[in-house]
Amino acid sequence: MSARILALVPLAVALNVVIGQLTAALGLPVFLDTIGTVLATGLAGPAVGITTGLVSQAVAALQIGQHMLAFAPIQVLIALVAWAAAGAGGFRSLPRAVGWGLLTGLVAGVPSAVISYYVFQGVTSPGPTAVTTLLVGLGLSRAEAVGVASVGLDLLDKAITFALVGAALRGLPRRLAARFPRGAAAAGR
Amino acid sequence: MSGTPLHPYTPLALAGAVTALAVLLPAPAGPVVLLGLVIAAVAGAGPRGAFRDAAPVVAPIWLFLLILHGLLGDGAPIPALGLTWRADGLRTALGQGARLGAIILASTAVLRGFRPAAFLDAAAARGRPLGPALLVVATIEAIPRLRRRAASILAAQRVRGLSVAGSPVRRLRALVPLGLPLLLGAIAEADDRALTCAARGLDGTARRTALEPPADRPTDRILRALALAAVVAALAWRLLGRPPA
Repeated sequence: MSARILALVPLAVALNVVIGQLTAALGLPVFLDTIGTVLATGLAGPAVGITTGLVSQAVAALQIGQHMLAFAPIQVLIALVAWAAAGAGGFRSLPRAVGWGLLTGLVAGVPSAVISYYVFQGVTSPGPTAVTTLLVGLGLSRAEAVGVASVGLDLLDKAITFALVGAALRGLPRRLAARFPRGAAAAGR
Repeated sequence: MSGTPLHPYTPLALAGAVTALAVLLPAPAGPVVLLGLVIAAVAGAGPRGAFRDAAPVVAPIWLFLLILHGLLGDGAPIPALGLTWRADGLRTALGQGARLGAIILASTAVLRGFRPAAFLDAAAARGRPLGPALLVVATIEAIPRLRRRAASILAAQRVRGLSVAGSPVRRLRALVPLGLPLLLGAIAEADDRALTCAARGLDGTARRTALEPPADRPTDRILRALALAAVVAALAWRLLGRPPA
């Protein structure tokens, strides 16, 4: 484990936790709670991204409850898709970043919905659960409602996440771009 | 925990056992009894602040379980409090609510009593590589720092005229001037800290000598053994379909 990983992972995990403070202040129905995972993957590769995702879930398990560990595989999936995006220049422009974000939303949203439905009976964090409850009230079955709420919100969430990470990688000052050549390459610099 | 602090691994092991038992014990009775035991343990010997920490996490979960399962769920109708509840749904809500309540309360109690330095010393005393423990501890210390920075970015951008109200599109646009400085600041800080870590020879693989290794008393060992025994018994019960002899 290099000093760079020891320095980058805690801050990336803290980003996953703290960014929600800004979305809450803006009243947006997204969490962006994988933004640090995507950023760490873009900057330093899949191993660092996966480590960030797993430590994020370990910290969430400490702060919120150990049931959060059920979502650890989703963090791994997101890091893997972000790695593919970085390799394919997925952060070079806003439209590409949003496209890769939508793909990630789909890839992460489906298994996330399965975990939410079977492990948590459809009740997880307030945002998606409120949408699920609304959809059940409108006549959808619980399984359909969980699926639509989870995938729908994940598409929006990951599109914004990838757009922001893309903007950060493209806007890296030259000194930092030299320190994180993978990140610079992912942004087409 | 009040009184003599437990070994840092003991509360983690107990919380892990609560999670395993919450999943393994048959609902709703098992999780309800477990929740009662966790409440009694935290009230009697744990940090009372854990109740305050757990309440805002547990309350919305219980509320949504009651609506989604108790009111909109399945089963025979039960009129009460001016509403029509569903019997099976209420049972599901009770079991899942107690399950998550026990897990969340146990976790918040562990976090309240978590001593990062003692946790690192415990890992060092057992001769384990410090990398994973260091990552968790450094993260827990980084979160409040980044939280303060996010608050100051929000305040600074508001002073510059950024509006955080209005249509969803407008609020979405406001995310860029708020989120981007936070991301770029975190990357710059990571780079600075990497240099500091490298200068101190900190790479997470070197074995370290614990200056003040936390005592692993018989009480700790007994508690961990009991927790493990309870999980093994519950697992055997589930697998064999009957209580172990």
